Amino acid sequence: MKGKAIAKPIIGKGRALLALLIIASLLAACGAKSESKEGSSAQPSESGNKESAAKTVVNYWYWLDDASNNTMEELIQKFNQSHPDIQVVGRMIPFSDYQQTLINSYSTNALPDAARFKDWWIGQFTENKLLEPLDEYTKNWEYRGDIDDVFWNTGRTADPNSPVYMMPHQYITFYLYYRKDLFEQANLQPPKTFDEFLNAAKKLTDPSKQRYGFAYRGGSGGQDQWYAFMLAGGARMVDDQGNIVINNEKAVEVNNWYLDLFRKYKVAPPTAISDSYAQLMAGFQAGTTAMMAHHIGSYETLHKALGDKLGVVPMPQADPAHPATMGTMTGNVMFSSSKNKEATWTFLSWLSGPEATDILSKSTNGQLPVLKSLTSKPEYQSRNEGWKVALESEKFAHVWPPLKGVGTIAGHTWKDNSDLALFNKIDSKQMLDEIAKALQEK
Amino acid sequence: MNKTLAARVQPQVKTKRRGKLSKYLYLLPAAALIIGVIGYPVARALVLSLFDYNPLGGGKTFVGFGNYAAILSDRVFRKAMGNSAFWTFGCVFLQVVFGLLGAVLLNQNFKGRGLVRGLTLIPWATPSVLAAMMWMWILDGNYGVLNDLLKKAGLIAQPVPWISQTGTAMPSLMLIDLWQGIPYFAVMLLAALQTVPGDLLEAAKLDGAGPWKAFWKVVFPLIVPTLMITTILRIVWTASYMDLMMVVTQGGPAYSTLTIPMDAYYTAYSDLKFGEATAMAGVQAILLLIVVVIYLRLMSRQGALDHGK
Amino acid sequence: MANKRIPAFRIALWALLALWLLFALGPYVWMLLTSLKTSAELFTWPVRYLPAKWTVQAYRDLVGTTDFIRFMRNSVIVAGSTMIFTLLLAVPAGFTLSRHAYRGKSVILSLLVASQFFPSILLVLALFPIMRSMGLTQNLFGLVIVYTAFVTPFTIWLIKGFFDNIPTDVDEAAKIDGCSEIRMIWHVLLPVVVPGIVAAAAYIVIYSWNEFLFAVTFASSAETNTVPVGLKTFIGDYVTRWDLLTAGGVTAAIPILVFFLIIQRRLISGLTSGAVKS
Repeated sequence: MKGKAIAKPIIGKGRALLALLIIASLLAACGAKSESKEGSSAQPSESGNKESAAKTVVNYWYWLDDASNNTMEELIQKFNQSHPDIQVVGRMIPFSDYQQTLINSYSTNALPDAARFKDWWIGQFTENKLLEPLDEYTKNWEYRGDIDDVFWNTGRTADPNSPVYMMPHQYITFYLYYRKDLFEQANLQPPKTFDEFLNAAKKLTDPSKQRYGFAYRGGSGGQDQWYAFMLAGGARMVDDQGNIVINNEKAVEVNNWYLDLFRKYKVAPPTAISDSYAQLMAGFQAGTTAMMAHHIGSYETLHKALGDKLGVVPMPQADPAHPATMGTMTGNVMFSSSKNKEATWTFLSWLSGPEATDILSKSTNGQLPVLKSLTSKPEYQSRNEGWKVALESEKFAHVWPPLKGVGTIAGHTWKDNSDLALFNKIDSKQMLDEIAKALQEK
Repeated sequence: MNKTLAARVQPQVKTKRRGKLSKYLYLLPAAALIIGVIGYPVARALVLSLFDYNPLGGGKTFVGFGNYAAILSDRVFRKAMGNSAFWTFGCVFLQVVFGLLGAVLLNQNFKGRGLVRGLTLIPWATPSVLAAMMWMWILDGNYGVLNDLLKKAGLIAQPVPWISQTGTAMPSLMLIDLWQGIPYFAVMLLAALQTVPGDLLEAAKLDGAGPWKAFWKVVFPLIVPTLMITTILRIVWTASYMDLMMVVTQGGPAYSTLTIPMDAYYTAYSDLKFGEATAMAGVQAILLLIVVVIYLRLMSRQGALDHGK
Repeated sequence: MANKRIPAFRIALWALLALWLLFALGPYVWMLLTSLKTSAELFTWPVRYLPAKWTVQAYRDLVGTTDFIRFMRNSVIVAGSTMIFTLLLAVPAGFTLSRHAYRGKSVILSLLVASQFFPSILLVLALFPIMRSMGLTQNLFGLVIVYTAFVTPFTIWLIKGFFDNIPTDVDEAAKIDGCSEIRMIWHVLLPVVVPGIVAAAAYIVIYSWNEFLFAVTFASSAETNTVPVGLKTFIGDYVTRWDLLTAGGVTAAIPILVFFLIIQRRLISGLTSGAVKS
């Protein structure tokens, strides 16, 4: 046999045969039904599953922020146990490859029934009706009123008659972390206005000690923080009539101020242009930066690392009488290609209900629940400083407009133009013009 | 290997006929698999480059060479082409030089050679997400080990933001690729060195040639065929290798690390323009084809293509 | 004079090896140290190298709360299978391209190289429906098929090169002695080509071990994740588990090291030019 002939010279006759046998049997073992971990429900959905022939299979994809925390799997198991006629099969995909995987799956008709989703992507996926409108289902949902309209709206497109496409689930709002210890040392109060913010940043910057006032996120993902500051500065992406105004005079001014934090006032580390989430967290924890704009998703980690040194306040505002900050919604969508819509709805509605949301929100994979019945509970209100400020900020948070171009901006357009502007290769207006162009893409 | 001459009827004709057919059998399984798994998707991708295609629905519109025209007139894509050339040839050149040195080192006799060979291989066997994250921290402009060591050695006064400057970002990525790629060349060339007959080297030394001369006159020519094939393939792979850019710089800062495949990726999945993206890959394929053709000509002139015959 | 030369040469050798090992393993040492630190110590300035408080919690979490060991098992299976299948396909192909005449051989050889031109990210879309229709998604076997296809071209070239190094006189001698072609390959040529096979094996195993895109697109699930996909899941949207990443990275290097320690033994010179004479 040729196989043996080749393997022989390398690892010897008997061992070659043994190796072949072992590998063949392991492969066979893999292709067949796999052993379950604590009776988990996550089985490969491709292989025929005789015992669930009577059950409706619902495929649900999601990402996890903290891979070592199995809350989502546990929730799926819980659901399967309490709903014997439905089998939800979960698939976890790393976040950085999530959108790409969805796109690849769509073009090969392999989309799941439902998936965790971000509001940024709604524009792209609704252009050709990939998402199932949910109004018919939510009409009679018992918890419909428990969620504010402002949250339902995050699941609609820009069309005024748009149905809801995404079940709102977990929300985040941008606020400002600050180092209480560093502020105390410098005898400063946490900032409420843009001027106070800049002032504090300048006072806390000392390059010789490798200390900077503000953790400027110029790297990937920085568009969220940028948008938060733009909103807080009084700029808007679209006006009430739906016109794109991100490149108007006001916006250019705010953008210029923001860029100058790095360019002119130098209150940000020199690495800011490539700093992304990991670098921001590292800098803030090490005390290299004194202020950082982020959201509840990082609170647990920072609190664990910094304890009392961690302070949280709402985003500083250019005009405190009219506050604004950025919010973004993570929700769940049903794909119009699903063949088991009723069962999928049963799962999604359960997932969005108080029981499941409560469990998820309290885990390291959770953020702010959108159910009023939960957020009004004292255990949420007074959970910790971060939650308090985050919930407060919900009142004046704006999300990204549901336009197709948002996906492009989040993908690379914001960063490309921000880079050029930070290096003074283009100015504030040119940068915003490019962003406006992307938003106008049909 | 000596075989005793057995009095066998040597069916020359039979061997010849079987030889003619069986030679295709040797090649067929491999060819079938490659055509099926690679050939078909490549053909489809090339065809797709002639269309306007949004991967999230909306149908296809034929645009002929419109995509090609669009990208070639795009300033950003042209920058990507330049970056790709610098990245590809820079990386491979450095890896060849150091890899060859490494192969020679690993070919020497010394105690613990097996272990050293195994250890030096590890960078090549590191998943790129891990290599990227590790080096991103080593090169960090605030807490990086590299900056710390350079500062302690008195070579720099302030830490250098290696990946945040347009001048140093690409070289930083090349350093990471060098780290990953040296073992590849070292292993391939080490294997090639094993085919150099020992007595040939002895003869050269007896003739009075120093080790340097002996290497270049005797050893090197014999490993050139392997060197050439490993190099050309490394060039082709490096051109498409974008994992490091994805994790560390996302093509920035300011497009300085944007290579053709990265541009194609963003065009496909962020801009949802699949036709243009595959056109970019098409342009890269054409450029690589030119490189490969020149290369193969050089190889056949060296006699490296049909050495055994 | 020969005596004086040897020590200097030896010193140079050791010095260069030491530098190389430092460069190659430095990042791993740093990773190892990081994996033994508590999370509070991860980001400190000034840079601290050794943990103030040593802990193996990262490894406990890695094994206890993640499926990483299973991911490693998956990677071993995929890499080993790909190696075997590829060699089964590529060695005969390399042999025939070396020894037999073909019309348009240079075209065949060029096409093998050309198969590597396209970035796999753009091929995934066309490949996916084929894989699905053949039931090759969400299992490791599908990955093995795809990997084999992608690594075979280079392996063919490599093996062919090593066959080319053996003069055809050896073939003739074997044939005169009564060898059939297959026995000739097996007994006569292969032992000489072994270093090429070892190099190819290393390349194949490493490609399979490191490959991410096809693994995440075709086979990402708790059961079928491979090491690179597993590592990527430690990088979430809002949380990066550095402890798991570094512990995982260190752990994943071990099977690779073991594998190479075994096969590198065959990277020895087995050929003297006298082989032809006999």
